[in-house]
Amino acid sequence: MAFIATGPFDFFCSWLFVSICYRLFGGSKLRKLNQTLQAFTKLVLVLLGATFLLSLIVRLLPGSPADFYTNALDEEGRLAQIKDLGLDRNVISGYLHWLFDFVRGDFGPFFMSGGGTRPTSLIISQAVPRSLLIMLYVQVVSLLISIPLGLITAYRADKATDRVISTALFTGSAIPGFALALALGYYLGVRLQMFPTIGYVPMSEGLGEHFKHLVLPVISLSVPLCASYSRILRTEIISTLRQDFVTMAVSKGISNSRVLVKHVLRPSSTALITTASLNMGGLIGGTVIIDQIFALGGMGQQITFAVFARQYIALQSYIALIAVAFILFTVLADALIGVVDPRTKNRNV
Amino acid sequence: MFKKLSLFSKLSVLWVGLMFFFAIAGRLLPIADPTEFFEVQGAGLFSPGHILGTDMNGYDLFANIVVGSRYSLLIAIFSVGFGSLIGGILGIAAGYLRGKTDYVLSVLFNIFLSIPNLILSLVLIAVLATSSDPNEPASETRRIIVIIISLTIVIIPILGRITRGATLAWTSSEFVVAAKSMGMKDMMIIRRHIVPNVLPSIYAVAFLAVGIVIVVEGSLSLLGIGVGNGTSWGSMLARAQGDLEYAPIALFVPLTFLGLTVIACNQVGDALRQRLDSRESKL
Repeated sequence: MAFIATGPFDFFCSWLFVSICYRLFGGSKLRKLNQTLQAFTKLVLVLLGATFLLSLIVRLLPGSPADFYTNALDEEGRLAQIKDLGLDRNVISGYLHWLFDFVRGDFGPFFMSGGGTRPTSLIISQAVPRSLLIMLYVQVVSLLISIPLGLITAYRADKATDRVISTALFTGSAIPGFALALALGYYLGVRLQMFPTIGYVPMSEGLGEHFKHLVLPVISLSVPLCASYSRILRTEIISTLRQDFVTMAVSKGISNSRVLVKHVLRPSSTALITTASLNMGGLIGGTVIIDQIFALGGMGQQITFAVFARQYIALQSYIALIAVAFILFTVLADALIGVVDPRTKNRNV
Repeated sequence: MFKKLSLFSKLSVLWVGLMFFFAIAGRLLPIADPTEFFEVQGAGLFSPGHILGTDMNGYDLFANIVVGSRYSLLIAIFSVGFGSLIGGILGIAAGYLRGKTDYVLSVLFNIFLSIPNLILSLVLIAVLATSSDPNEPASETRRIIVIIISLTIVIIPILGRITRGATLAWTSSEFVVAAKSMGMKDMMIIRRHIVPNVLPSIYAVAFLAVGIVIVVEGSLSLLGIGVGNGTSWGSMLARAQGDLEYAPIALFVPLTFLGLTVIACNQVGDALRQRLDSRESKL
């Protein structure tokens, strides 16, 4: 039972301790801590629910994994193999085994077609850095494009410039990512031979090749994001421009562009940070189709493969990892918002 | 009402209408047989007899687009319809009853939302549409029903969350409190006061959801588990993907129709939401 001592049980004890403290003393700081813990409990519930749901559905697939991943000829050897792989466990016991392994950092076995296993962490250690890197590029590119666009459209709100850019952005946000990927792949990749359309080259094998392979996927993923980011920034900036401190800054004679960049951008960027962090989780695993089209070998492609190959244990680990990353990025964004806009610290949320 | 819309919205409404017309009256129109092989393969736009050209098999693209709109829109409308109905009921229940119902439903919605929607529909379709006998693939009708069911499951939490938020806002408004204090029954309050006010925001999001569903249907076809054999826009894409170098037109025609329909649906949803906002600000 040693594994219980570091994990859910600890978490439960600390929650109990805090609740008792709260009942006894009540202070506002403790209340805030308790609220954080309640939100955390909800997140953990969602995480457990999502992984359990997926394992349940994957187990409903016709044909049991035991038929796929054993190769012994006689019945006795087959049974031994099934027991060895842990395929004889029922849904709940299998899930609990996976859960305690996952909490300890073991991502479970990845079944090989000829019997035998290899650790899922091998696949994860290859796919996650790729996905993270692509996500980073996409975020940087879309922020670099959308911040100036947001500033321009808000500054010239309801004038011709704004109308044209906003309409273009709206159209961009509605174009499906795969449509863009296929079209760009044809024109820039096949027709003009400018960029390769398939595969991923790690950074260590040449920086130029690395970026060349990622241009098309990053563009296809960035366009919809740019559109949503600049629209959010536009609304926020328009409401900030009505604030008194902006009038004050303008009346002091500070130039318009300086006011926009120095005074307006910072308080207007909180919603943008929240949206960007919400997109992080989605970008790690939700890019299934772009991953598939450009054969990047990121998490999206691995998840698709795991579904078709009935790798329910690996699938649970993938989804759980994405959810954990999602939570981490949300916490990070909250901290960042506190730095960017100190006014939010005093708010009683 | 139509006159007040901007030019872009008018065009969008017309486009969505045209696509519906195609979907309903598709086979009655004077078009080529979508399954007939013509001799010209990979013909360009406006070539004689084939207004949108033909693909590498010699299929007439315009005829396939018209006939394909039926399944694409059928899947979108049914799944969004069922999804809005169930999601709306659950969302109103969560927002109106609050407390434990709200907690349980919110956690459930979040569970479904935390799984990327393409992956969720992928898993669901893989489970429901695979027949136990590998030699006998699942029939077309069953595939479509399964796709509709899985996309409905994907849509429910999205609509549920939106409806819950709207219901929360309206439940705390004065006239609902007044109705409660006068002893009006809960069901009556929901029917008379909550539903009429929540419906517009459901409509607005439902149009956006139609766009999402059309895209997901296309993605599923590209992954090889959508409706088979060129009978929807998505499967036209999947069929054309292999011949990209020889007949790019076969890829770009369905892409254009799919993209334009998604843009038009988003625009209609957006226009509805703006009308809604202006109505609320007049209060």
